[in-house]
Amino acid sequence: MAAEFAAAASVVDSPELQPPLIEGRGLTRIFQMGDAEVAALRGVDFKIKLGENVAIIGPSGSGKSTLLHILGLLDRPTSGQYLFAGVDTDDLDDDRLATLRNRAIGFIFQSFNLVSGESALDNVAAPLVYAGVKRKERNERAQESLIRVGLADRLHHDPSQLSGGQRQRVAIARALVTRPALILADEPTGNLDSHSSADVFSLLEQLQAEGLTLVTITHDQRIADRAARVLRVEDGLLTEGSQTSAAYLDHAERTWS
Amino acid sequence: MTYTEALRLAIRRLRTNPLRTFLTTLGVIIGVGSLVALIGVGQGTTAALTSRIAGLGTNLLSITAGGSITGGIRGAAGTASTLTIADANAIKALPGVLAVAPEMTVSNVVVVDGRQNTTTTMTGTTSSEQVVRNYQVQTGTFLTDLAVTKGLRVAVLGPTTVANLNLSPAEVVGTTVTVNGIPFTVIGVTQPKGGGGFANPDDFVFTSISAVQSRFTGATSLRTIGVSVSDPNNIAVVSSEISALLRLRHQIAPSGSNDFTMASQNQLLSVASSTSATLRNFLIGIAAIALLVGGIGIANTMLVSVRERVREIGTRKAIGARRRDIGRQFLVEAIIVTLGGAVIGVLIGIAVTGPVGSAVRVPAKPSLAGIGLAFGSALLVGVVAGYWPARQAARLDPVEALRYE
Repeated sequence: MAAEFAAAASVVDSPELQPPLIEGRGLTRIFQMGDAEVAALRGVDFKIKLGENVAIIGPSGSGKSTLLHILGLLDRPTSGQYLFAGVDTDDLDDDRLATLRNRAIGFIFQSFNLVSGESALDNVAAPLVYAGVKRKERNERAQESLIRVGLADRLHHDPSQLSGGQRQRVAIARALVTRPALILADEPTGNLDSHSSADVFSLLEQLQAEGLTLVTITHDQRIADRAARVLRVEDGLLTEGSQTSAAYLDHAERTWS
Repeated sequence: MTYTEALRLAIRRLRTNPLRTFLTTLGVIIGVGSLVALIGVGQGTTAALTSRIAGLGTNLLSITAGGSITGGIRGAAGTASTLTIADANAIKALPGVLAVAPEMTVSNVVVVDGRQNTTTTMTGTTSSEQVVRNYQVQTGTFLTDLAVTKGLRVAVLGPTTVANLNLSPAEVVGTTVTVNGIPFTVIGVTQPKGGGGFANPDDFVFTSISAVQSRFTGATSLRTIGVSVSDPNNIAVVSSEISALLRLRHQIAPSGSNDFTMASQNQLLSVASSTSATLRNFLIGIAAIALLVGGIGIANTMLVSVRERVREIGTRKAIGARRRDIGRQFLVEAIIVTLGGAVIGVLIGIAVTGPVGSAVRVPAKPSLAGIGLAFGSALLVGVVAGYWPARQAARLDPVEALRYE
């Protein structure tokens, strides 16, 4: 698995040649609230390439959750184009979107969203069920994924028996198990104490360094500071945020080392 | 997701809350169990009724003399002296008639054996009675042709009559009993037929018709004539032939009404079986309602379950479940609950059919058809009850579902 990420990472070496993994062109999303129309997104353009580490920040109500749902193919824009690996997602029906989510996207939620009553292993293996992977291989890959996030000794625990940080690591293992191109993290440390937060975040950074594309939604400035690129959402519009050269250098160092 | 995966997931889910699963299943268990048991009891009732009626005489046509008219008032059927032994012999000559038994009946005779006595009915008849009314002999013999032609004072007793005399069938044969003071030698006892409704078919004294004629009535008129038809499919034809013959012999004008009545055992049989079918359908209806209520219980639990698991559904959609994957998961869960309940219900139904039957004095046993019907309707209930919740779950919007608190 690591080798694949490394291969993907090496392609990132020449950014000009690399087509964007995801691209938004004039995305809007308008919600009908009774008689009133509320524009959550008012024309958003962006390009995110394979292997990038992007933080999307903005105050609550800015439209960043709506943007995440569109990026994650859970919602469709009202107008504009959202291209995933060069494919206009508007041309895909709901089942194709589900399949694409299954194969290409890993979700990490603020509240973990693990299914209680099912072991950590079963939770992690769940996406592979929908991918039609056979049970034996599923369990092997789920185990591999759990080992990778440092939970080799928690395979058969119920989520209720795990700490918050451990739960989020199970969720990360679940996001990784299909070897997706894109990880979408929605406030991944929002429900964790500072110690677990640091723990989870360094895990995500490590994975990103191995070649995963990581898009994190957060309002935590400290997390944003550590991302290579920051996109700022405000009033339904997206602006490329300023990045400190320090963060850039830091990121570059870790990537190249 | 394959059905195997859905099955595995559903079983895992149902095991996390065994009490709820059991309570949900209970409705189906009760419904299916009562369906199996009541169908068994219903079929047992029909079978018992049919065999009892058939036991009274297969292919039987019974001709009864009309009521005598005294002062313009018609008396009870059989009281008129219109049927005669000659009529019986004439019927015997008709094609399609297997056997004819003339029956000369004396009611309320007192039978005495030593100190015991009992009141019963004495019927003078011929050896054909055995074929016509379908009697099996338990001990001794039935009336013989010789005894009938010689007018011997011999008697064949019904098992109830024997019991009323506090005797056993084995010891009564060969003894002498008196009927209204006249001694008769007992030559046989018949097999019991079982209760057949108003008249107990096992309580009687049979003797030769000539003995009754000479010792009791002194007349030649019969109360009834029993006719056994060779082919049961021919019963209507034979019956109209007999009717025509008797009208001719009794010189009844074409506009006049019959001075006799005729009833076939088949008529009685069809009335009885339609009655018991009505009863059975009524019982099945009740059980079906129980099963329906069970199905509503499942639908309700599934709807609650969908509501409880909105976030799980959203998560599953996010990680790649398509609509049909989610729908299948919930549908399979409902079907498993129903089928599990159906299996337990069938087992319980099989176990209680016998006891329930004996509680209502019917030899009931579970039928394959009943089990099949119960299982089939349970499956139908499961699919119907699971469909709507499954569809609701499948159609949830992933964004809404993930946001659901």
